[in-house]
Amino acid sequence: MTITRRHALAAMGATGVALAAPALAQGTKLRVGALRFTSHSPSFVALERGYFADAGLDVELEFFQAAQPMAVAIASGDVDYAMTAMSGGLISLADKGAIKVIGGGLSEEAGIDGQKILASDAAYRDGVTTPAGLAGKRFGMTTAGSSFHYMGSKIAEAEGIEMSFVPLQKVGAVIGALRSDQIDGWSIVPHIAKPIAGTGEVHVIGDVSDYLPDYQVTTVFTSTANAGDRDRTQAFLDAFGRGVTDYNTTMIDRAGGDEGVDAMVDLIHRYVYTDRERERAAPSIIDGTMRINEGAALNVASLQDQLSWFQSEGLVDADIALDAIVDDSFVRTVG
Amino acid sequence: MPDARAVPFRGGGFRPRGNRWAALILFAAILVLVEWGLRGGWISPLTLPLPSAVLATFGELWRTGALVDHMVPSLSRLAVGAVLGAGLGIAVGVAIGLFGLVRAGLIPLVAAIFPIPKIALLPLFVIWFGIGEASKWALIAFGTFTPTVVATYGAVDNVDRGLIRMGQSFGLRWWSIVSKIVLPGAMPGILSGLRVSLAIAIILLVAAEMLGAEYGIGAYILTAGSLYDLERLFAGVTILSILGVLVSAVIGWLEKRVLRWRT
Repeated sequence: MTITRRHALAAMGATGVALAAPALAQGTKLRVGALRFTSHSPSFVALERGYFADAGLDVELEFFQAAQPMAVAIASGDVDYAMTAMSGGLISLADKGAIKVIGGGLSEEAGIDGQKILASDAAYRDGVTTPAGLAGKRFGMTTAGSSFHYMGSKIAEAEGIEMSFVPLQKVGAVIGALRSDQIDGWSIVPHIAKPIAGTGEVHVIGDVSDYLPDYQVTTVFTSTANAGDRDRTQAFLDAFGRGVTDYNTTMIDRAGGDEGVDAMVDLIHRYVYTDRERERAAPSIIDGTMRINEGAALNVASLQDQLSWFQSEGLVDADIALDAIVDDSFVRTVG
Repeated sequence: MPDARAVPFRGGGFRPRGNRWAALILFAAILVLVEWGLRGGWISPLTLPLPSAVLATFGELWRTGALVDHMVPSLSRLAVGAVLGAGLGIAVGVAIGLFGLVRAGLIPLVAAIFPIPKIALLPLFVIWFGIGEASKWALIAFGTFTPTVVATYGAVDNVDRGLIRMGQSFGLRWWSIVSKIVLPGAMPGILSGLRVSLAIAIILLVAAEMLGAEYGIGAYILTAGSLYDLERLFAGVTILSILGVLVSAVIGWLEKRVLRWRT
């Protein structure tokens, strides 16, 4: 049977009804933190298509420039739910009892374009055409303990090479340094990797998923106090999950065909690349497509690996246990 | 004439006198209060680190040798940047104070450069000087240059004209007037300007180490911030404070030596 758009919509509708939160007062106000990245699309979808409203949640999106301030805003109670990589900062805040990881977001998956490993043009011409060639080279990252630091270390470990890590604070600064050959390598999500690789100043030399299959790139998290409010958190995750399902079926499984993709790009474009016309934004939005865990499922094994790496690098306390950070009682766990 | 009324002595006071223990006791009291609050649970561990834990972090920094690893690059950046910036600043400031044409040309330029946030230019410095040491020196030098210029020409302007006229009437040559009257006379103002510009240099150290620095106090503070590691953050900030106090003490010592003529 071929899945038509109508079937897909009907199926979504059915899951929607099944998941609709039963006992939540209408109009519970929530602030959801987001970055203007395609990986945050489930929140945009759930808001635009009324899934949050169905669950009785009156959601307001708060936009941030970087993941770290978002984690701090969750801890201070300025934002209720958000999604970002499990950085060292997030672990420290969780260890202080301020926040909990309650679900999974973006995942690396074999067969789907994931994060790319890049080399600068000078390094590439110098023979860095595979990640193994990065031995003794400079690898860019935003800060120590960021997801870039983790990915770089894991790649180096798998290849048995040593690299030096250059902290440059901001993604923009890393791109600039890579373009001007001041660093040799970096890894980044595809919607950023592909446009800069297209200019010829930077080259794609590998995939992160080859080194970190099933890498749980981002996680959904909230404050410990919110996690205690089980009905509300469950309602949020269910509505968010409907957004994830819409996003995955449309953008990856292409259940709605090109029409479905177009409609989804229109929706996402209201939040991402708003400073570009739709024609120029659409390829970047489509390039940025990565699988987001169905039902915000958590890959506990990947999170454990990340935590262990942070501890082995001395970036966080060695005696933090994963269950102090993660509350896996809300969603399915995988891995 | 009626009997003179006894008038009580109304003078005195308005003469704050130091107490060498006051600062120390206040400082210790704040630390004890914070420690007590955190242990007692009425200060959230999210807001402040345990002072004792910060002290332990210091101990660890010292034992592992990490303190030296971070201090050496930072101090050398500070030294090179501040010497370049302040040296050039004093030279330009004296020139502004002495020559009309230089004054007319440079004062508006310096006024235009002064309010530019040097941190905003950091990406540009990286293009000009790379992500190595040169961009860090440049940032610190640029940041210390303008306040030094302003303080220096102000100090030169304030040298007592009477002394200069006296030198002239005694037939001193121009160079003698500059080296024996103008420069010593401007020295108090220049040194107090240096207090400000060297403090700015320490502030800029953190900004300078934002890009591409693996070691350095600024890099250490930034890493601690991104890891939300309050103990390391406060340990780093404390090192900067101590650095500030040391620099201020060095300038105080310089003032005593260079300005002996005042007493």
